[in-house]
Amino acid sequence: MTAASPRPAGLVGALDELLGRRVSMRSLALLRILVGPVTLLHLRPFVADALAGRIYRDAFYEPYASWYPELPRPLYGTLLAVGVVAAVAMSLGLCTRVATGVTFGVVAYNLFLSTTHLHSNRAYLVIVLAALAVAPCGRELSVDAWLRERRGGPPLDPRAPAWPLWLLRFEAAVVYGASGVSKLVDPDWFGGTVTWHRVVQVRDRLDASPLPGWAVALLTDRSFHTVGAKLIVITELFIAIGLWWRATRYAAVWIAVCFHVAIEVSASVQVFSYLAIAALVIWAVPSTRDRVVAIDPANPRHRRLAGVMGPLDWLARFRVVDGPSGGPVSLTDRDGSVQTGPAAVARVLSRLPLTAWFALPTLALPAARRARRSATPGEPDPTHDGEATPGLTASGTR
Amino acid sequence: MVALVVLVQLALVVRGYRSAHKEFAFQMFPESSTWQAEIVRVTTDGDRVPITQPWAGYRWDELVTGRGLRHPELRHHADAGLDNQLAFLDAALDYVADNTPRDEETRYLEARVTTWNNTDRPEVTVLRSDDRSDTA
Repeated sequence: MTAASPRPAGLVGALDELLGRRVSMRSLALLRILVGPVTLLHLRPFVADALAGRIYRDAFYEPYASWYPELPRPLYGTLLAVGVVAAVAMSLGLCTRVATGVTFGVVAYNLFLSTTHLHSNRAYLVIVLAALAVAPCGRELSVDAWLRERRGGPPLDPRAPAWPLWLLRFEAAVVYGASGVSKLVDPDWFGGTVTWHRVVQVRDRLDASPLPGWAVALLTDRSFHTVGAKLIVITELFIAIGLWWRATRYAAVWIAVCFHVAIEVSASVQVFSYLAIAALVIWAVPSTRDRVVAIDPANPRHRRLAGVMGPLDWLARFRVVDGPSGGPVSLTDRDGSVQTGPAAVARVLSRLPLTAWFALPTLALPAARRARRSATPGEPDPTHDGEATPGLTASGTR
Repeated sequence: MVALVVLVQLALVVRGYRSAHKEFAFQMFPESSTWQAEIVRVTTDGDRVPITQPWAGYRWDELVTGRGLRHPELRHHADAGLDNQLAFLDAALDYVADNTPRDEETRYLEARVTTWNNTDRPEVTVLRSDDRSDTA
C-alpha cells in the first residue's frame, strides 16, 4: 500500500514516484510477442534482396554519417539472419532480454545505414523495440518463464518500474499528435486540398476499382474533403490525447483501430498499421487479475464464457471464480462495482484484446449504460491501477 | 533519462518542420505534391545526354532504385513531401556521379526538376551533382 510510504514532494517527486512504481509488464510482454512478426515483416524486403545477392549499397544509398560502420557483404547478410532469429526468439520469449536487445540493435543499425531506409513506421518500430529491450518483458508469456517453471524455479516478479511503459505511451501519443499537428498547421491539409488532390491523382484507379459510381463521385468531390480532412486531423489529435484518460481511452482505442484499418486499405504504409494496432495494448491499466468474473460452473453457457476467457485474456485482466449455483454471470470491476448478466458479459468481452473492438460499441447502448449506472457499488479494489498485483485469495479461484 | 528522451523526441518533432527527411518527426502523408525530372549527363565536351540512355555499361534504373527515383522522367507523387524528394534526388545525383568509375566522359549530372506543390503552379528547380572532374 502506498499510503504508508512517504509522499514525494512536488511535481518532480510525484513524477519520480509514478515512473518508479512497480507495475505489471504484462502489456509489454504481449506487445513483445506481437512485434516479433511485425519485425519479420519489416526485415523481409532486406532479407529477400540479400538472398537475391543484392544489398542496400548496390544502388543509391546515403549514409547518415561517414563514420557509421558498414559491414562487409557476407557479414551484413549474417546480421540480417541474426535479426530474423532474434525476432523469432523475442516473440517466443526465449533468452528474451538478449533476443529483444539484439532485435533492436539489428533493426536500428539497418535503419541508420542510409537516409533511404528511413520511414516513419520504421522509426516507430525502433522506438517500440527500444522500449521492449529496456523493460523486463520476458518474465511471463515466454519460453523463459515456462522453462523456469519446469525446472521448479520460483516465478519471477512480473512487475517492474513503470518508466519504460510510460515512455512508450508518450512515444505512441507523439506519433499521432505530431502527425495531427503537422496537418492542423498546414492550410492545404486542414482545408482538404491535400487529400482531395491525392484522390484526384488516382482517379483512374478509382474508376477501375469495384467501387460504385456514387462512391467515386463522393471521394472526388472537393467539399467532401473540406470536411473529411478536418475529421482526419481531429481523429489523430483525439487518439493522441484521448488515450491518456480513462473516460476516453476505450473510444480512442476503438477509433485508432478503425483509423489504421482505413489507412491499411487505402495506402501503402509498410508495417505501420500492424505495429500501431499492436502497440495499443500498452494503454491497458498495468495491473492483472483485478477483475473477478463469477460463473455458475453447472451452467454450460457460463462454462463456455470461461472457456473463451482463458485463451483470450492475453492481458490477464480477470480471475474466474465459481459463483452461486443458478446465479447469473457477475463481474466485479476494479472499483468494486458489480454487474450481472448480459451487461457483465459485454463488459468482459470489451476488455479482451481480440473481442474488444466488436464489444466496445455495445457498452454505449442505452441498456448497457443503464446497467453500468445501476451496478452494485462495492469496495474499491485497493490494488487497482498497478499499485500491486492482487493475490489469488478467492475460494474456488480457477 | 526519461526526461532526456522526452526532450529529444519533442526536439525531433519540431526539427521536422525544417528538415528534409523529418527523422522521428512523424509527419505522415504531408503533401499531395508531385514532381518530374529530366536528368542529363553533361559531358566534358558539353553534350547533354539523357540518363534514360545507358552509358558506359550503367543504367540509371539500376543505380537508383528506391524512394520513387527509378524513373524520374515520369511524374510521381512526393510521398514524404517535396523537400524530402528533392533532397533524395540531389543525393542520388551525387551517388551516380561518384559510383560510375567506367564513365570517363561525364563531367556532372544535372536534373531539371518540375515540382507541383499540392495544387500550386509548377516550379522548376535545377539540381547538379558534384563535378566529377574534381575527383578524377
